[in-house]
Amino acid sequence: MRWQVTRSRLARPALLVATLAFMAIPPCPPALGGAPDCNVPDELMQVDDKLPHLAERVRAKQPVRIVAIGGASTTGVAAGSPELAYPHRLQQILARWDPSSSVTVVNRGVPRQTARQMLERFPTDVIPEDPVLVIWETGTTDAVRGVGVDDFAATLQAGIDELKAHGVDIVLVDMQFSHSTTTVIDFERYLNTLHRVGDVNDVIVFPRFEMMRYWSEQNVFDFDGVAKDERASLAAKVYECLAGKLAETIRLALR
Amino acid sequence: MPASTRDLRLDFFRGLALIFIFVDHVPENILSYFTIQAVTFFDAAEVFIFISGYTAALVYGQILLSQGSLYATARILGRAWQLYVAHIFLFVMFIAEVSYTVTTFNNPMYNDEMRVGDFLDEPHVAIVKALLLEFQPTFLDILPLYILLLVLFPIALLGLRWRPLIVLIPSFLLYLFVQVTNVSVPAYPEGHVWYFNPLAWQFLFVAGAALGFPGRRDRWWSGWARTLLPIAALVMAAGFVVKLSWTIHGVWDPFPGVLLKELWPVNKNNLSPIRIIPFFAAVALVAAVVPAEAPALRSRLARPLVLCGQQSLEIFCLGILLSALGHFVLSEYDSAIETQLLVNLAGILVMCLTARMLDWYKTMGRGQARLAVSSGSGSGDRLRI
Repeated sequence: MRWQVTRSRLARPALLVATLAFMAIPPCPPALGGAPDCNVPDELMQVDDKLPHLAERVRAKQPVRIVAIGGASTTGVAAGSPELAYPHRLQQILARWDPSSSVTVVNRGVPRQTARQMLERFPTDVIPEDPVLVIWETGTTDAVRGVGVDDFAATLQAGIDELKAHGVDIVLVDMQFSHSTTTVIDFERYLNTLHRVGDVNDVIVFPRFEMMRYWSEQNVFDFDGVAKDERASLAAKVYECLAGKLAETIRLALR
Repeated sequence: MPASTRDLRLDFFRGLALIFIFVDHVPENILSYFTIQAVTFFDAAEVFIFISGYTAALVYGQILLSQGSLYATARILGRAWQLYVAHIFLFVMFIAEVSYTVTTFNNPMYNDEMRVGDFLDEPHVAIVKALLLEFQPTFLDILPLYILLLVLFPIALLGLRWRPLIVLIPSFLLYLFVQVTNVSVPAYPEGHVWYFNPLAWQFLFVAGAALGFPGRRDRWWSGWARTLLPIAALVMAAGFVVKLSWTIHGVWDPFPGVLLKELWPVNKNNLSPIRIIPFFAAVALVAAVVPAEAPALRSRLARPLVLCGQQSLEIFCLGILLSALGHFVLSEYDSAIETQLLVNLAGILVMCLTARMLDWYKTMGRGQARLAVSSGSGSGDRLRI
């Protein structure tokens, strides 16, 4: 948690060896068309917890309804259109994998809300949708505003309890990474808290922060120095990658 | 108080706490696995506040007994003012860093979500709130607590002179009240609370002060500490095992976190009993096991920490600045383990050298004052809070 963060730090020497091995292959400039190469180390794709309700629904070949609740990176405005946001991409990927199924991912992103404000939206925005899985992307605004970490933990716990009471599976998604923002915002406490809440409740936490950090360090994406007219396409690519990883995570949890 | 009789344990452990506060404030720092919070439920903040209460009572209690309540009050408020100025200085540094980043970094992927410079939209309000101690950005949350505690301290000190219990009992009841009702102190922006809830944390400061107040039958409580030693050791050992298992579990998932589901989260804002009980156990343990005259405390190895503890205000502020700087270096340039270690090493070195320099500077100043007055008064100042 500090955890996942440091776990990958500790794995650094191994990573370095792997990186050196791949240096022999000239890297493709990521900005040039086509699907970006958004691989991540295996340890970031470790899924220990299950999604029992979703699994049951899939097994019974019933329609699947997923609600994505979160902030601006869920709405996906930065990419230019909601079609390019990660929830919509996720729906497309899941549908592609199993064309016979009916998968709907409902986007319930509202920019700049704390976990508490999102929790308050559950009764109106989430529960009435009757989802079998809720993807809860949260923590950014809490870290920016410096909400007490204990309050943050209590809010997450309340949200998890509420969803579990309704028989809904949960995937938590942590914050976005960029060098510039981490210099002024202390994400660590919130990352640790989010991951520990997931750990304690046997809920999957999707390590978006570590993935984006990895991409940044491997020069797959440059979040900090991107030119003005390329920003929207960068966002779209990142959301695409994240949707792919998220879909893979869901698949691993259904095994 | 001549230097030879002063309790170096206070300086040593406060110095250690200051180093730990620095290390723990550098995010994603490998060394933070080796600070006190990795193996106990409390962390360096408790040590710092408790010892600060203890030494405040020791120093200002002496002034109160020898020079009267008016002068003691003036000295305490003077100290609070120093802390206030330091806080505002740190705040300005913080604002500078944020303003710089906000204006140079402009990626909509992040901007829609995290307008970190939110408060820059209404600087007139933010500045006033900072002056009122209601605006406490990350890292700037412990000094407001300390300042508030000192401002109210003259009242506690008068009470302590009369009857310690007259201060301790209301303080403890207020602490209990917070535990039961979860009441908190509002801060800025709206919806925020003081990170260190002063209504709860005051108890730790007052408890330290009650133990530190001078002249009360020479350390009446060290006997108590010895009686409670077995229980204290047990509490410490249990806390150690549980917390260490959490720390290992955090790094390596398959290792089980003992009682993790039952005990986590441990509320720091309100200084929950699960933090304060092991802390008092640690205090009893140290009081009973480490004698004030322990030669190790006078060794060359302990000297840098003792000096840091003696110059606590300056070193505390410096530590906060250095951890912000360390954070900047690690996130901006490179965060490999070697760099992390280097940042820690450099920070600790700067803290120790600064403490050494301040000690030299102040000793020279005192020498001059002695030459001028030739009677050598003012030795009570040796012990700074």
